[in-house]
Order: sequence, then structure tokens, then C-alpha cells
Amino acid sequence: MSELSATVMNLPRRDAQDKLRGRTKYTNDRIRPDMLHAVLLRSTVPAGRIRKLDVSAALRCPGVRAVATGADAPGLYGIGIADHPLLAIDTIRYHGEPIAVIAAETEKQARAALAAIMLEVEPLAPVLTMAEALQPAARLVHEGWRGYEVITEGGARGGNIAWEAKSSRGDVDAAFARPDIRIVESSFTVGRQSHVPFEPRVAIGSWEDGRAHIQTSTQVPWTVRNVTGRVMQLAPGRVRVTVPPVGGGFGLKFDASIEPITALLARMTGRTVVLENTRQEEMATCLCRENAEIRIRSAVTAEGYIAGREAVVLMDCGAYGGEQVFLTTMTAHTLGGNYKVGATRLVSRAVYTNTPPNGAFRACNGVYNTFALERHTDEICDALGFDPMEFRKKNVLGDGDLGATGQVFEADVLGPMLDRMDALRVRTGTSEAKADGRLYGIATTVGTWFVFVGPSAATVNLNADGSATLVTSGVEIGSGTMVQSLPQIVAGQLGLAPEQVIVREADTDAAGLDVGVGGGRTTVSIGAASVAACADVREKLLRTAGEMLQTRPEDLVLREGRVEITGRPGSGMSIPAVVAHAQATTGPITGSGAFTAKNTPAMSGCAMGHFIDALDIPVFVVHEAEVAVDPDTGHVEVLAYRVVQDVGRALNPRAILGQIQGGVVQGLGYALHEEVTLTADGRIAQDDFETYRLPLAQDVVPVAADLYEGAPSMGPLGTKGAGEVPILAVGAAIGCAVARAIGKPVRQLPLTPPRVLGLLHEREPPPEFPHIAPGWASNTLC
Amino acid sequence: MTVTFQLNGEDCRFHGDPMTPLVDILRQERFLTGTKAVCREGFCGACTVHVDDEAMPSCLKPVGLVQGCAVTTIEGLSSGNQALHPLQAAFEADDAVQCGMCFPGMVMSLSAFVRDNPHASRAEIKAAMVGNICRCTGYERIVDAVAVCLDQARKAGQLVEGINV
Amino acid sequence: MAPGVERSFTAASTLEEALAARRQGAAVLAGGTWMMRDPRRGGQLPVAVVALHRIPALSKVEINADHVVIGAAVTHAVLVRVLHGVAGFEGLVAAAQGAANPGIRSVATVGGNLCALDFAAADLAPAFLVCEATVELQTFEGPKLLGISDFLEGRHRLLTEAIVTRIHLRRDLIASAHIRLPLRKAGDYPVAIVSLAVDKDKRCRIAVGSVEPVARRWTALEQAMAAGPASALDPERAAELALEHNDFQGRDGKEAEGWYRRQVLSPLVRRGVAALLKTEGLA
Repeated sequence: MSELSATVMNLPRRDAQDKLRGRTKYTNDRIRPDMLHAVLLRSTVPAGRIRKLDVSAALRCPGVRAVATGADAPGLYGIGIADHPLLAIDTIRYHGEPIAVIAAETEKQARAALAAIMLEVEPLAPVLTMAEALQPAARLVHEGWRGYEVITEGGARGGNIAWEAKSSRGDVDAAFARPDIRIVESSFTVGRQSHVPFEPRVAIGSWEDGRAHIQTSTQVPWTVRNVTGRVMQLAPGRVRVTVPPVGGGFGLKFDASIEPITALLARMTGRTVVLENTRQEEMATCLCRENAEIRIRSAVTAEGYIAGREAVVLMDCGAYGGEQVFLTTMTAHTLGGNYKVGATRLVSRAVYTNTPPNGAFRACNGVYNTFALERHTDEICDALGFDPMEFRKKNVLGDGDLGATGQVFEADVLGPMLDRMDALRVRTGTSEAKADGRLYGIATTVGTWFVFVGPSAATVNLNADGSATLVTSGVEIGSGTMVQSLPQIVAGQLGLAPEQVIVREADTDAAGLDVGVGGGRTTVSIGAASVAACADVREKLLRTAGEMLQTRPEDLVLREGRVEITGRPGSGMSIPAVVAHAQATTGPITGSGAFTAKNTPAMSGCAMGHFIDALDIPVFVVHEAEVAVDPDTGHVEVLAYRVVQDVGRALNPRAILGQIQGGVVQGLGYALHEEVTLTADGRIAQDDFETYRLPLAQDVVPVAADLYEGAPSMGPLGTKGAGEVPILAVGAAIGCAVARAIGKPVRQLPLTPPRVLGLLHEREPPPEFPHIAPGWASNTLC
Repeated sequence: MTVTFQLNGEDCRFHGDPMTPLVDILRQERFLTGTKAVCREGFCGACTVHVDDEAMPSCLKPVGLVQGCAVTTIEGLSSGNQALHPLQAAFEADDAVQCGMCFPGMVMSLSAFVRDNPHASRAEIKAAMVGNICRCTGYERIVDAVAVCLDQARKAGQLVEGINV
Repeated sequence: MAPGVERSFTAASTLEEALAARRQGAAVLAGGTWMMRDPRRGGQLPVAVVALHRIPALSKVEINADHVVIGAAVTHAVLVRVLHGVAGFEGLVAAAQGAANPGIRSVATVGGNLCALDFAAADLAPAFLVCEATVELQTFEGPKLLGISDFLEGRHRLLTEAIVTRIHLRRDLIASAHIRLPLRKAGDYPVAIVSLAVDKDKRCRIAVGSVEPVARRWTALEQAMAAGPASALDPERAAELALEHNDFQGRDGKEAEGWYRRQVLSPLVRRGVAALLKTEGLA
């Protein structure tokens, strides 16, 4: 049996039965009667100065055991720049910002005591939009931005620009000056998207033996550990984070937010403290996919060669830099992906506003940049008279082509994937007949994403009963990696059945560093670390077995729970017998492994302010949507949806198809239904399930998917992450299909019925960005 | 005020505010945390329980209104080592579960639905799911599993009374 | 509620008992689907409530030869079950069947839907308007009957000292239809609703919900349609007249602006008339 055939299978989920019976204990199911309950005092203005904050009366309220303010946790945290206090210190920067926290015996008592906090705030005129923030005389959201600790060097910063990343390759001015080109310019604007995990952000903190222990619903236990250390000014090693099953994340839980507060209160009270966002708090302070504004210009020849391209992408980071600082990097790889381009320059700016901070959301940045790029591509085709499919086939990235930072792409992947989409369409047929008199549109779009690699560690303990225990900091957020791909990988390496692989829940005290579950990285990074740990285990196992069998270790194989002599099935001895012997002679068999990014370099001078210069593992998708638009009401019905996804190697095809269906539907929400707007006082207007419209069963269709295997990947067994990308090109496919159906340019998402009807009736003004200067270079800091 | 009702087949007595949402009593006093309080406004369905055999959200149910009623939660649907309800088994077999938080409510809503609608079409199954949101799966596998489950029940000749545990 | 105050909860078994509690200031608790949301929105639950679900007369639907009486505590789900297939009430059934979601429909009552004061998108309001329903109230002074239009207009005031007990419907409709337009297929409150009915004299009644703060009859359109021949119930013609006689001021909301609600009325009328023509009474 080859390693591959022992690994690839449709392994069912081991956690399904408990989840179906309601027995799984998520973090917010672990609240016990002896815990203190914490509630937050949150700002009711978007900007202001705290003139007075007196909590003494609240401390005397019935049941109250502690009250904490920013003074109790003075450290700042952030990604790239440390600009974020745990609780507001002196300045309020967004509506809903935590100012103080009360821990009391019951939630009711804690809530009642909120009224006893004396708070005086001098309101300031808020900076609510990126247009306002970029005015030359705009008030600074962070007056002291110069003084912040820079955690990662390299980004340009200034005023309300939290971070700026640029990429520049080739002579763009020369490309635009060519006499044989036409210039096509497009502008796009997109709103925020709220993740809406069913389990909100929640943490349970205790103080044990002089250290904090936080149990929490997070994707990033090590980030929570480190941020808690920073804000409490403790050595991070004095914080332990453990993670029960997580009720959905989608990127929202890829940063620390309220978790450290529970450690702070636990230290103050000596009690276990729970803090759980109410649904309204969760939605009002969601670290949403950011709203963004995009202008792209391309210089294209009559033959359809893209000689030059330039773009400005503004990303609203809200009140604090957070993930957007990092995500400015991604524009070079998403907007700069998909196509061969002669010369290119892209700038991406994270802009501070007095609005709730934004964060990471599945295929962050890629989703809207892909929408913009694909709609722009269709506008190029319209302007120059190209067939959109032929234009794509001619121009998609192939073997040896350069990315925006000068990265050299390996192998032809997107081209063959487009051909596979043609074949898939032939198999499924098209659904134009279902349009039934409505306006029909079909569009095929492409997308470029990556696997966010980076450090992971794994330990494998081989037990005397023949089982193996895998210890990592991985978290099961629902995508199945911890219950499907990882046990499959370990089992395949050690000749075990996946059921024999025990997977330890994340515990920062038990496993080594991990950058977290996100960016499609778990199967790749933790998988690779696990393979390395298994190699260590294997080596020890075969050495012991070799001694026992008087055979050279290289002549032995692991198969179906036995150490066998190569080519002689049933020979040798059982793994438990070898483990028992080792335990008695050389000690228990345990192995450790580690993995990190290979850090593929950019071409010299091409990437500025980038956290990632080039993609170690690119991932591509081809998405196709068929829609019917009701010309009377603007309702868009998705008639059919097809996906060809580059998965490298499908370890569990059924699980991947489940991720594709779920990711596409989240994308349909983004493209069609889910709208976040901000009120005049900077609040997220949609803070409940009445007004924030998630797709429901009747709004979706079964996605027809074809898994494209064989593209190069450094992942174990050639895998790539499969859970992140299914959402990538949905906004693009729907946007392009609707534009073709209605015969009008689509430049904004979501395409709610009122917006589509507005487009049909010429009521929707095209986006205009007076704050984006005509000359590209004027939109950069240096 | 004291409210008495049957909870998963046993007498349950609650002393306190009769306007307390049933979901809070289930989760906070009886530790029946399979019932999830997600939106608390009747939109998501994660807190669905059966009250006198009808599926309804427990977040909007003041406990005072269940005086004398029989309440069944997900824990009561197939307790202990009992076999899974056919729907639960179908969801497991189809690899339908992801984060899993919507599923207890999904099972409670749809178990009442398949009992009452043994001949439901795919469109009717979807219409029955309007009050059960799932953020992970994109629904189709859930619909597939319900359809398979109904089909198996029909083939097994349980047509007349629909599916019962 | 002040600490130490115990909430008063009366599950009334007679109307008299309910009225007595109401007189003491108790708020009426129907299915609870509105009231129980208040605390999530910063509101307080009332200190005293009186529940009506134990009053037998209020949980019944009586179907007689010439009229139907619906108890205020009847749920949407029960209303659908009982009136399903009763000629002329297709619209009312569609309204009750389309509202909210199945779990809510099992709990939310007819009375609760009509008494939700700030809920512009109530499905039952326009459906009852085209039935020309009569609302029966039990006031502190005794019973009172009121046309549905007057009830909807005056309910803020009326309900301070009355309980809605029953809805009376004449069986004078040969067909009805209810067209709701949520932004998804279902599950959100409709941004516009058009209810239509045709009575025994072949006169068309039309009501609109959710477009303005309170549902109302579309008198201008009814008159315009009455001016044509009764036999010529035509979807396209009706849509044209709807466009011409659109006298609605659309309300702006988070989900849709006023112009949109107004704009979709004409196509909804077209769909409504088409649905009417498919009913048994007109087919």
C-alpha cells in the first residue's frame, strides 16, 4: 500500500455524532454556576476624549467583584504596529469600543452595575469614511501614531494611513504611453461582510499557579497568548490558552479581542471569569471583511495583450490597524494575480476611520480584489471587443509568468482549469431555460489566492496500544482538518488507521508555536509538521524493530498496524509489540516535527511594505455562475454554480466538496444579500439576524465542483489548503453574470434587489473617488 | 412563580421569573447545552425544541407559557446510548456537519417536519428550513440527507405515520 | 424591573380574568415573539403580563356557512391548517403561511400580529384588509366591533384599554391572493406586500402592506379597476393602472428605501392578479 493510497479517503468526522446529539461542549457551553460574569461598558460615541472615568461606585454594587479599565492593562497590541489598547485609554475611536469591564456573580448584577460607572466623554467630530480620513486637513484618528511600536518594519505610514504596501514591476508609464494600446479604467466599491459564526467570541479566564489560563473560541491560541502577555505586561509564557471545539470562525477569530480581559479579571478576583459577546455586541463590533475602494487602469493592445496595469486599493481598517495592515500585502497577489501583465504597479493602503475595526475574513482582500479585477477584465473585453472566455484563456498566468512582485509562477494551472470548466459545463448542461423570461447572465471568472504557510509544530507519541497521539496547536473550527486531514496524514505515515490517531485539542502549554487556523494553512503547515514528526517516530520505530527482527530498518515498512519486511505482507510484528519493546529498552517512542514558510523572494525592488514578498503556494480557482435577474424587482436568482478548484492533492474529496459548497454560499451572501452600512454616528446598522441577511436554504443551489489535482505544492503529499478559497471568486462570478444579464456595469456589491433595480433604472450612481488622485504616484506616501 | 412542565420525559419545576426564556432555563439551570442560544430573536433556529411535539424556538418562549407542556430537547431526542434519530444518522453518513452549532436546532426542526411531511419534496424541505440558518455548510448536504432519510423511510414502509424514533 | 419586585404573570382562563389583569396594568402576552425580543433591544419586559392562550374561545377558528371567526390567540400555523382549501381565503392562508419562518408561525398569533404597533410589514394586516375583517375587542366598557381599517389606524389608542379577542370574516370572497416581497426568497420581512381579493360582486379589493407605516387599502386602484369591465381582470392592465394610480409614500428603512417599495407595487399587482386568476373561484 502506498503512502498516498493509505491517506486519501473520505474519512467521516469523528466529532459529528456528538455535535448532532448536542453533546459537544463549545466554549460557551462550559459556563458554570461558580464563574463570575463579565460585561463591557462600551462607547456610545464614535470618537471622543475620556474626561472622567470613575468606577468606585460600580465596585460597591451588589455582586460586583472587580472592575477593570484601560489603566489595568496598559500594553498595546496589533499586527505590524502596536496601536490597539485592550480597553480604551483616554481616547475613544469607535462606537462600541470597550472602556471598562465589570465582573460580578451574575450577568444581571454585572449589567446593573454598568450604570454606576461614572463616565464623561468629550465627543470629537468622527472621521467616518476613507474619503474623510484622506482629506489633507482630516483629524487624526491616532494623534500619536508616530510613537507606536512598529512590530514589523517596512510599511510606509502617515497620518490616517495605518500602512501602505506597494508593488512595482517594469515601466508602467512607458506601457501607458505606447501608441498601440487603449486604456480602460474602472472603479469599484464594496461594503463590509460580517462573519456571523454561530458561537460568538467568548472566553473563560482563570488564574492558576501564578499564570493565566484562557479557554476560548479562537483560531489563534498563540496570538491570544502573546497579546494577553503584551496588554497585561506579562511574559507570554505566563499565559496558557486552550481551545475547545469552535462554533465557526471564518477569520473573525484570527485575532485576539476580548480574551485577555478574562485573564485580567481572573487575576484581580482569583475567580474564573466568563466573557461572552451578546449577538448584538458581536455584530456591532465584528472584525468584518473591510469595506474597500478600488481603481484600476489597464493599457491593453488590440491583440489583447495587457501591456500595463496600475491600481489603487483603499482598505478601511476602522479604528485600529489590525489585520488590514497585513492584508495590504495581498493586493499584489490578488489584484496582481490571475493575468500576465507587462508592467504593473499597485498600491494598497489601510486607512484609519472612527468605525469598528475590521479584520480577517476567509480569502480576505482577495474576494473584493477578484471581483474588481474580473469585472475590470470584462470591461476591457467590452471596450475592445474580446470574448471574455477567450481573453481569459489567452491571458491567465502560466508557467514562467511573472506576478506583480516579480514572482515566477510554476506550471500551467489556470489554463487547463478553464478547459476543465468547459468540460464541467458540458457535463452539467446550462440552466438558461430556468430563467423563465427573466434576464439571464452567465460568467466564468478566475481567482488567485495562496496558502498562508508559516510556523507550525507537531509532536507524535506512539502508544503501546498501537495508537498515536498527535499534539499540535491546531483548532477544529468546523472545517474538518483536525478530524479528517490530519489523522489521515498521520495514519498514512505510520501505517495506522485514522481512528487510531488521537488528536489533542490545542493547548499552548502542550504544543509548539503555530500561527493559527486560517488562510487554508492547517492541512499544509500542521500537516507538514506532522509528517516530520512521523518521520522521527518512524525512524525510532524501525530502528527498534530492526533490532528485534534482525533486519535493516531500511528493509522495513509500516503497514496496517504492523512493521513488515518490505514485500512480505504479514511478516514482522505488530506496532504495539515494537512500542512495548522500545518502552522497556530505549524509552517511549515520540517524535517532533516543525515547518515554516520557505519565503519565496520577490524580484529585487518590486515589493515595499509587504509581509509576504511572494506566494509559496499559489492556489487558483475558476468559478462560473448562471443568474436570472427579475427586471421588475431586481431579485437575482442563482440558477447554477460551477467550480474548478486547484487543490494540489485531495486527501478527503468529500470534505473538500463540503468546504466548496459552504464557501460558495458565504460568497453568495457577500455578492447578493449581506449588507453592512454605517449610521451617521458610526455604528454598524445591521446588528441582528433580522437586518443582516444571511443566505438561507432556499437562496442556494448545489455547487457542481471539479477538483483539479497535480499543480505544484510544497504541502505534504502535494496538498493545498482547500477551505479558504471557495469564497474567492463568488463576488466576481455573480458580479460579472449580473452585469451581463442587465447589460449595465456592476461596480458595487452586494447586489441586493434595490441596488439591481437601481442599476436597471439608472438610479445607482457609479462610484467616484475624489480622494484617489488621478496620478498613481500621488496615491503613495513616498 | 413556580412553573412545572415535562422536560425530556421527567418532571421539571422552575421557580423564578415566568418571563425567563425557556432556552436560559435549559442551558443555565439544567445544563442542557445542546440547545444553542445564537440570535435569541427567532431567526436562526439553533434553539429549537419541541413543545408538545411542535418545533419552536425556545429563545422567545417565556417559561410561563410552557406550564403543563412537554418539552423535548436535542438531548431527549436520542438519549444515552440510544441509536441516533434517522435524521441524525443521515447527517452523519453524509458528512453534513461542520462547526456543528446549528445542527441540534436543525435536527429538532426537521425531525418534526419529516414526521409530519413524509412525502416532502426537495423544495418543501428547503422551505421548512427558512428558520434554520447554517453559516458553514451551504445547506445542500443537509437537504440531501433529509431527502435520503425520507426516501429510506418510505422504502421501509413507515409511510403512514412518517418517521418516529 | 426594580430589584425584589416579582413579576406578575397571569395565564387567564376567562376573558373577564384577562380584562381584570389588563385593568391592573398587565400587558397582553400572546405568542411572545415580539415581546421577548425587547430585552435584546435595550427594552424592559413588562412588570405584569397576562397570557391569553388558556382562554378556549380565543384559540378557536369557527367556520360557518357565511362567516368565519378567528380567535386572537390562534397561531399562524393553525390558521393555515384550518383555512387551507376554504374557497376565498387563499390570500389569508398565503399570508399566514409566508410570514416569518415555520418555528415562529407555530407560536406567533393572529392577535399578536395585528397588535404589533410598530411593525409595518405584518402579513396579516393587508390580508385582513381585503377580507374587510371586523375586529372584536373587549374593552373596559364591554365588547366593541371595529372595521379592520379603523382598527389599524386607531390601535395605538384603542389598545391602551382593550384586548383584541376575535376577527370576524364574511365569506363573501370568491378568490384572494397575497403577494409578499422579501429580499431573499423568504425569511425576512417583506419590503412590500399586495393582498388582493375578488368578492361575489366581482369587485376587486386591494391592500398594501409594508410600503407605508400602516397597511391600507389601495382605493385609487380599486376604483380605477372598477371602472373597467369586471370580466376583464387582466394582470398587465392591472399593473398599468397600478403604475398610474400609485399614491403611496414609501417608507425608508434599513432594508430598502421608499422609492423601491413604491416601484415594486405595480409588478406585485401584476403577480397578484395572475395568482387570482389561478384560484378555483376564478379559474
